[in-house]
Amino acid sequence: MSVLRVEAVEVRFGGVTALGGVDLQADAGRVTGLIGPNGAGKTTLFNVITGLQTPTAGRVYLDEQDVTHKKPHQRARLRVARTFQRLEVFGSLTTRENIMVAAEACQSWSNDNENPKVVTEEIIDRVGLRDVAESPVDALSTGLARLVELGRSMATRPRLLLLDEPGSGLDNNETDGLARILVELAGEGMAVLLVEHDMELVMRVCSEIFVLDFGRLIARGNPTEIQADEAVHAAYLGTEDDAKDTALEQVEEAVL
Amino acid sequence: MTTFLAYTIVGIATGCIYALTASGLVVTYTTSGIFNFAHGAIGMVMAFTFWELTVKDGWPQWLALIVVLGLFAPLLGYLIDRLLMRNLHGASTSTQIVMTLGLLLLLIGVATVRWNPGEARVLPEFFIGHHIRLFTINVTYHQLTMIAVAVLVAAFLRLLFTRTQIGIAMRAVVDDPELASLTGADPDRVRAVSWALGASLAGLAGILLAPLVSLDIILLTLLVINGYAAAMVGRLKSLPLTFVGGLALGLAETYAIWKLPTGLLNKIRPSLPIIFLYLVLLVLPQAKLRAGRAVSLRRPPRVAGLGESIIGGVALVGVAALIAPHMSRSDLTLAGQGMVFALIMLSLVLLTGYAGQTSLAQMTFVGIGAFAMGKYFGGASLLGILLAAVLAGAIGAVAALPALRLQGLYLALSTLAFAEAMSTMFFKNAAVFGYGGRLAVGRPSVLGVSFHGDHAYFLLITGVFALAGIGVLALRRGKFGRKLVAMKDSPAACATLGIDLTFTKLAVFALSASLAGVAGVFFGGLRGQVGPNDFEMLQSLVLLLLVTISGISSVTGALMGGLTFGLIPRLQQTFKSVRSLTYIGPGLGILGVGRNPYGYTSEFAPLGARIRRRFGRGAEPPAGPAGDGSAASANLEEVDDLVGVAG
Repeated sequence: MSVLRVEAVEVRFGGVTALGGVDLQADAGRVTGLIGPNGAGKTTLFNVITGLQTPTAGRVYLDEQDVTHKKPHQRARLRVARTFQRLEVFGSLTTRENIMVAAEACQSWSNDNENPKVVTEEIIDRVGLRDVAESPVDALSTGLARLVELGRSMATRPRLLLLDEPGSGLDNNETDGLARILVELAGEGMAVLLVEHDMELVMRVCSEIFVLDFGRLIARGNPTEIQADEAVHAAYLGTEDDAKDTALEQVEEAVL
Repeated sequence: MTTFLAYTIVGIATGCIYALTASGLVVTYTTSGIFNFAHGAIGMVMAFTFWELTVKDGWPQWLALIVVLGLFAPLLGYLIDRLLMRNLHGASTSTQIVMTLGLLLLLIGVATVRWNPGEARVLPEFFIGHHIRLFTINVTYHQLTMIAVAVLVAAFLRLLFTRTQIGIAMRAVVDDPELASLTGADPDRVRAVSWALGASLAGLAGILLAPLVSLDIILLTLLVINGYAAAMVGRLKSLPLTFVGGLALGLAETYAIWKLPTGLLNKIRPSLPIIFLYLVLLVLPQAKLRAGRAVSLRRPPRVAGLGESIIGGVALVGVAALIAPHMSRSDLTLAGQGMVFALIMLSLVLLTGYAGQTSLAQMTFVGIGAFAMGKYFGGASLLGILLAAVLAGAIGAVAALPALRLQGLYLALSTLAFAEAMSTMFFKNAAVFGYGGRLAVGRPSVLGVSFHGDHAYFLLITGVFALAGIGVLALRRGKFGRKLVAMKDSPAACATLGIDLTFTKLAVFALSASLAGVAGVFFGGLRGQVGPNDFEMLQSLVLLLLVTISGISSVTGALMGGLTFGLIPRLQQTFKSVRSLTYIGPGLGILGVGRNPYGYTSEFAPLGARIRRRFGRGAEPPAGPAGDGSAASANLEEVDDLVGVAG
């Protein structure tokens, strides 16, 4: 059974179609990739799944429960967490406080008995943020701030984790660490949906990959199949109309 | 039936003014994303300029109209955009709000210097003396002019938005901000034009409005609040709906004049537009959560630990105790006022500095606190403080209700409406402060110790501030405080963590109102009595701006802001030539906040770090002197020197 199922989701901004009938699913225990050129609609899809964007048509199911009309915080309580491509850290709080807010929130709406302090310290070590635990996040580099968002999203003990380009801004060592964490999380039974431009990372950790282009699903398969797919190559090698691509990207950014 | 028709025409005329005012607001808001609280002040300045040109200098009206609306107003709008607003894109909503509020105060201040409020001025109606008889009432040519102008402006805006290139670019923003950049329009140019156009529309409304009320600086500036309601009907987006809203408001007001008994009418008439605004806010649809946070490159002020904050508090009271015996009675009163203002500003640190919500009604809660103490306990009881806290908190929660589903700007607007409504309906009501409007508020004795003397009372207020400061810092370090800051930094992220912010918003608003209410008890006790004019909305604005300038995210900022406010009367004596220093000072000072949202006290952070290093951990430097103004400025110079050495 899929933790997440997206059915025929469509989003239009005025006359521009950002998502045109996308189907997708993410299963427990594996990392699912979602890739595509800039402006393909990946972030918009994340916003639809988490409730920050109302789809023009289509449905979103979490554990086969229809959540299309639920508010963002209600969906989060069904154990969905995410990070943001454009960082949404709590910049004037420290790294520790960022994670603590999430752990405390989780404790308040769930039946978990975990001590938020313990959860926080465990995640700080796991993500490797011990050195910057006391720094306000606004003072951190983008790469580290992304790790703070990752840690924060893990603190609500999600069953479905949506990661929007967690690897950008990381150096090679940090990327290795990220890959290890993602595989571990999946190994613990989490469903991870990963948007990422670092293809090496995607091919390394994902067991299934969905490819979006111009708001439509153009391919789906395991890493080997995707690497061999001609439509995917065409989409990435710039046969598309650059102007339209830029326009869509702008729309996506503006909406964010 | 004929009477109905006649009142309808008058109502339409009034509504046209509201629509005109609101349309200018909407034009600037949709293209720049900034709600211009100074819209009314621009209209006021233009009305005064028009008076000066026509009545004082004897220019023909048509020439003055062309010069004011075609040259001065657009130029002012353009300059505002260029010099102030352009840097604000991407700034947080609360920074944008204080910026245009600063402009509002600055314009009031400048107008007060230029046009002495002590002199009476009359701006005659257009075509004065001419009217037509319509059924049972007279409709003046001026009223007909208002209708004609509104129709012309509506037609002009329609043509502009459908037939001209710049208009289409602006409309693209109105219809769908996301797509605006796709039309290839230069957003900077579009914004400059919209600010110029907005200022002209404000001027037009001001010039048409001034003859009907009076040429009064504050009155004209605040009348624009009436237009806010109309703008809300159009959800700050749709111009046709804005005109509909303006007309509905005008008609509702006129029918109320016709039908309501005079006694009741006189009580609620000034508040009708405010009530209308409140209702519109109630029915506005829930705001959509959006990602996209304001990013600051500045480091937020460090949050002091418990030990440090206690040391700081003790040091503050100690310094106050050392200085107090050497101060004159008037100095003690000034310093005490400074501490009271600091306490009020502390309530804003909680609400705005931590939680990112803006209140323009803090003085209203101060008034409620003073009222609770004075009315029910005369002042000598600690129970009075409790009642002040509970009453102000409860009323604060009610005031915040309509805006809970909405975001920052709307909360600010509803507190503005609330402050104005309370001012006209509550504080100025004879039943509240008694006939003649003075309510005595005494000074309490605590545990058998009397605080009636000026010296003791000053120390008491300082102690209360120190305690409240320690409390606010403790709150900030705790779970609730983290949640507040998270709410300010990213509501979208909070939602994706499963946090429902409705209760948090309500709680922090009530808590902040409560603290302001407690400050009100001491405000009243310090003066001995309070009256209907002590709790004006403009005072709340000055408070908000001053604490923003000194640092709204820290207790030190509140202390310095309060002392500065306490100092203004003394400065005013020194600089007699600059009338209205209260308005000009904060108005100018706020311009620096676009650069550093944490205020000037955050610039001393390196100094604090040095001192902490010197004394090991702990030992926050005494947050600031608690003495009179001269001591404060002397200490500031010292700090400056030290920073200079450190730099």
